[in-house]
Amino acid sequence: MPDQTNNHKTLLRVEGLVKHFPILAGVFQRQVGVVHAVDGVSFEIRQGETFGLVGESGCGKSTAGRTILQLYRPTAGRVLLYDQDLASMKGETLRRMRQKMQMIFQDPYASLNPRMTIREIVGEPLMVHDVAKDKEIQERVNELLDTVRLNPGFASRYPHEFSGGQRQRIGIARALALQPDFIVCDEPISALDVSIQAQVINLLEDLQAKMGLTYLFIAHDLSMVRHISDRVAVMYLGVLAELAPRDELYEHPLHPYTQALLSAVPVPDPFVEEKRKRIILEGDVPSPVNPPSGCRFRTRCPLADKICAEQMPEWREVVPDHWVACHFVN
Amino acid sequence: MAVRASRTAMQPLIDRIWSSKMTNYIIRRILILPIILFGVTALIFGMLQFLSPAERSALYVRDVPKNEAMMDAVIRRYGLDQPILVQYWNWLMGRIDPVTGNVVGGILRGELGYSRSGSQSVAALLKRRFPATVELALYTIIPIIGIGVTLGIAAAVNHNRWIDQLARVFAILGHSLPSFVLGLLALLFFYAKLQWFPPGRLSDWANNVVLAQTWNTYTSLITVDSLLNGRVDVFLDALRHLILPVMVLSTISWATYLRVTRSSMLETLRQEYVVTARAKGLKERDVINGHARPNALIPVATLSGFTIAGLLGGAVLTETIFDYPGIGQAAGAAAAQLDVIAVLSFTLLSGLILIVANLIVDVMYAFLDPRVRLN
Repeated sequence: MPDQTNNHKTLLRVEGLVKHFPILAGVFQRQVGVVHAVDGVSFEIRQGETFGLVGESGCGKSTAGRTILQLYRPTAGRVLLYDQDLASMKGETLRRMRQKMQMIFQDPYASLNPRMTIREIVGEPLMVHDVAKDKEIQERVNELLDTVRLNPGFASRYPHEFSGGQRQRIGIARALALQPDFIVCDEPISALDVSIQAQVINLLEDLQAKMGLTYLFIAHDLSMVRHISDRVAVMYLGVLAELAPRDELYEHPLHPYTQALLSAVPVPDPFVEEKRKRIILEGDVPSPVNPPSGCRFRTRCPLADKICAEQMPEWREVVPDHWVACHFVN
Repeated sequence: MAVRASRTAMQPLIDRIWSSKMTNYIIRRILILPIILFGVTALIFGMLQFLSPAERSALYVRDVPKNEAMMDAVIRRYGLDQPILVQYWNWLMGRIDPVTGNVVGGILRGELGYSRSGSQSVAALLKRRFPATVELALYTIIPIIGIGVTLGIAAAVNHNRWIDQLARVFAILGHSLPSFVLGLLALLFFYAKLQWFPPGRLSDWANNVVLAQTWNTYTSLITVDSLLNGRVDVFLDALRHLILPVMVLSTISWATYLRVTRSSMLETLRQEYVVTARAKGLKERDVINGHARPNALIPVATLSGFTIAGLLGGAVLTETIFDYPGIGQAAGAAAAQLDVIAVLSFTLLSGLILIVANLIVDVMYAFLDPRVRLN
């Protein structure tokens, strides 16, 4: 387990990241509104760590991951990988930069081109970046398949001939092809059977240890995030609520939303479970088209007061390395 | 890089073609053909029974009330009063003519009967007319695919931008102009007013060249044969006659292709594997041409099989409007004159073409989409 101190080098810095999607309507497709998918998010990811990003579905965590990789172009903010701003990169420069950053997708069924063989899927990145030539590509693909524990003899098959777990490993092999430093894992196990999830997680951990990878691990399964992450950020309706080293966050959650989330995780001990006090949140997540004023969470927060509607809580470091956005945390 | 990409892209396709699974699939599909054909003939023959023996024989007799005895003779001679199964067998295999004692007719023997409207045997009529329709179909498919698919892709890639809006207007225009309206307008303007593109298949002088002894027939497609005979003037004359019917015939179809391609491409561009392709670091051009387009064109390929089949079956309205001597014009004339024998044969031909096209489409589909199960 990598240590959780502050002396790691920063690999990726996200500063005030905003992603708005326009809502178009009518004959002339005029803009009638905006989805505030990601609305001002800042954090750092350190070299070699696994940074967990959790939140309910629709909170913008996947959008954040894709915007960081510039698969969606940010509306505002900066994304610095090795101190180079990805958000201001374009065309060829950005394309070259993709060798350093890759993504593992949630849906292993939809994310592989059905008309390409495994060899083409895994080998294509090598070809488009001119990393290797015909024969080398073959060898490299076999190597990669071996790395993700797939039989290289299957390379000429098509994605539909594989199971979900195998397909996810193909996706991982593809992401590894260019030997990236940074990988966004966008809910890589949510679409898999529980029995397969552990396999894929173990593989991701082994690869990290072997290749020194840095992960941004997006998930909604709190136990899984606790297992794999070094530091964890909690996202709510496009903004960050809390960010802390894993054990600190799970043992001393400060934000009321984090507390509610964690109290919803069942404890595998009937006596503890029976006595445990649970915080049940009222109401639904508000629409990101019309987010609440001030604190995003105030409409469902048990502590909410006047100030929460008036002012957006400041994103501040309360304890060293423990960040939170709440008016009532001292 | 493009060359290398296409070579590796083709290899699995080639492997798939030569796989024993694929061969079995094709053989199985071909074995079903006769059964489907049997169904088609039964259906066509069944429809024939809606006409009574008297009605059918009346088509061969002049001055019906005066010659009732002759009608009875026709009914007996052609066996029109026999049980339907016997008639069907006779229609398929031929029958013994009670007057001459010879076996006559039988569509399986290639005897399709005599067309009154065409004043010749149906077989001869088909042989003369079919190449003209084939030629028209071949030239029509070019703008359909060229304009329809190209515009459809462009519209989808530029979703909601001006080129997309323009393409949608074109599609609606193309759909809402029936061929008899567009055809007549085209004739009025380009023939009557400007004298650019005359109706028919060839001008009189060119027709004389084609009918002369010195003309060698290779394919019966005039645009091809004229070049093989070294007559560029005849080639240009044939093209000049093809332009209007091709334009009218392709307009509705390319509008359909535009819409199908556009929606299929839009759907494909939303697929996650397109995001994967971008994440790999492909150029946007390669994402669209290499990943999205091949998947988006699968339904278009299917559609094109049926379009070609439809075109080969003859375009009744367009060929009639432009006096183009193809199957469609002959079928229209036959129907107008209640020429049952000819109409039956044309229907059978269209059915046959469609069945073969269906087979080709299915096999093509299995080639294009690896997800299709072959067993």
